[in-house]
Amino acid sequence: MRERLAEYRRIAVFGGVYNNALALHALLEDARRRDVEAIFCLGDMGGFGPHPDRVFPLLEDGGILALQGNYDESLAQGKTDCGCGYTDPRDNYFARISYEYTFARTSSENKAWLGSLPGHRRVRLGSHRVLMCHGSPRVINEFLWESATPNGLLRRFLREAAADVLLCTHTGIKWHRPLATGQHAVNVGVIGRPENDGSTNVWYTILTATLDVSVEFMPLHYDFETLARQMDQEGLPPEFSETVRTGWWTTCLENLPSRERSRGKF
Amino acid sequence: MSLPLVTAPFTGTTPAAPFLRFSTLWIQITGTWCNLECRHCINSSGPREPWLRPLRAEVALSAIREAEELGVKEIYFTGGEPFLHGDILTLLAAALEAAPTTVLTNGTRIDAAMADELAALAASAPYSLSIRVSLDDTDPERNDRVRGENAFAQAVEAIRLLHDRGLLPIVTATEITSAEHADGRSTYERFRDFLLARGIEKPRVKIMPVFTLGRLARPGDPVLCEEDLAGFDRRTLQCAESRVVADGGVYACPILAGLPGARLSDGGLEASFRAAALYHPSCVTCFRTGMTCANG
Repeated sequence: MRERLAEYRRIAVFGGVYNNALALHALLEDARRRDVEAIFCLGDMGGFGPHPDRVFPLLEDGGILALQGNYDESLAQGKTDCGCGYTDPRDNYFARISYEYTFARTSSENKAWLGSLPGHRRVRLGSHRVLMCHGSPRVINEFLWESATPNGLLRRFLREAAADVLLCTHTGIKWHRPLATGQHAVNVGVIGRPENDGSTNVWYTILTATLDVSVEFMPLHYDFETLARQMDQEGLPPEFSETVRTGWWTTCLENLPSRERSRGKF
Repeated sequence: MSLPLVTAPFTGTTPAAPFLRFSTLWIQITGTWCNLECRHCINSSGPREPWLRPLRAEVALSAIREAEELGVKEIYFTGGEPFLHGDILTLLAAALEAAPTTVLTNGTRIDAAMADELAALAASAPYSLSIRVSLDDTDPERNDRVRGENAFAQAVEAIRLLHDRGLLPIVTATEITSAEHADGRSTYERFRDFLLARGIEKPRVKIMPVFTLGRLARPGDPVLCEEDLAGFDRRTLQCAESRVVADGGVYACPILAGLPGARLSDGGLEASFRAAALYHPSCVTCFRTGMTCANG
């Protein structure tokens, strides 16, 4: 029997809010201007930035259809770490600061809401079957980097999920891979921090049903100076606000694959 | 040369790790053939009569093709010393067409010409190429006591050559000499500072535990039993999602490649997708430390 799925022509999709309510506010305004029918968030509301609870009213008022990221899962379950999947001691040092800050400042009501989010979402975009996940379809915190995700693996994911389009986030850097089969894999990027290219803007994705699927990456500018100032006022590590001000990652970059790491400053 | 390894027989009470999914293909390309003879080597590699023979290129290529079909996520080459294999560049090129690929090397065979070849390969490949260079101490004398004369200088030169070409080598170190340092820094910090001081502005460091096997195996080293694993999620062990192609077949993990007790199939990868016996003393190390031989 054919699965009944919500059907759209044009949607906006983003991931990784990382407590960045200012960017989320900018996204809601930007996406509405672009005539999307629905806005999806692929998870990781917390971490990195300041004032976690400012994000949730925006998600609710904006009618965002969200799914659960590893950060959300950890907060909801009261885990002791963010579950980002880092193995490097320096990554883990900064990840712990970020997680403890966010955990202490996220209300129990919001944690419960994070716990209620689904792990995946499926929709139709025109005739195309879309599977949305946070890390990968199989593991919530699996990193799917552009230079480290083989076509064979993407074909396997799409075959196992009976999908034509795979959408994920988690890594913090967007990419789009059209496959020879006519299928697509898209890492939709994150709006919480810039993507290690020396620019202060962040990114989200608009997908439009055509005969094929059109994938547009949308640069999103927001008041990054105010965000950085708030981070400093909250006593978050200066390495974090430096990233916001410069567009270069200073932490949580040890597990970048060679190619992505070589493009950054650190 | 006799097998200097523990090969405890599999028994009915030996615990096992389930096969969860196929993520990582390891290719033990040179078997235990190496130009160094490190005193902590996990598979007793060395320059004389390798007990595990190098793989023929066709066997490696066939494994790469099968792994790609099965949706492998990453491929690693190890040995022995992979750069002793005459077909290593061809094999790396083939692997990089299928998946991101990493080579574990002692660095002694990477001169400027080889570094140029690797840089060209990395630039043209669809996926990332990573080179992991092994060192054991930031002090040349301490390092060479473990790895052999002049090993330090050659490895550090390889790191420089790779770095100068944008290849961002990952320095892989054990903690075998860490007790000899009294400065309060961890092995990780010591290597990171060492690389930064040499102008490596994107230092990448991976620390591996020392395993009680190969040249460090001792009679009576403990093995796991079912009770040890109560409440432990065995799916987190690397043998739940990696397989190793080496002479003689497909094995559960790179640490145990070539050992009869870890052999899961005679050749085909898919045939090896079944539970792996946690029969060996080195399984205790993986269980205790949660380590993985993969990059991250």
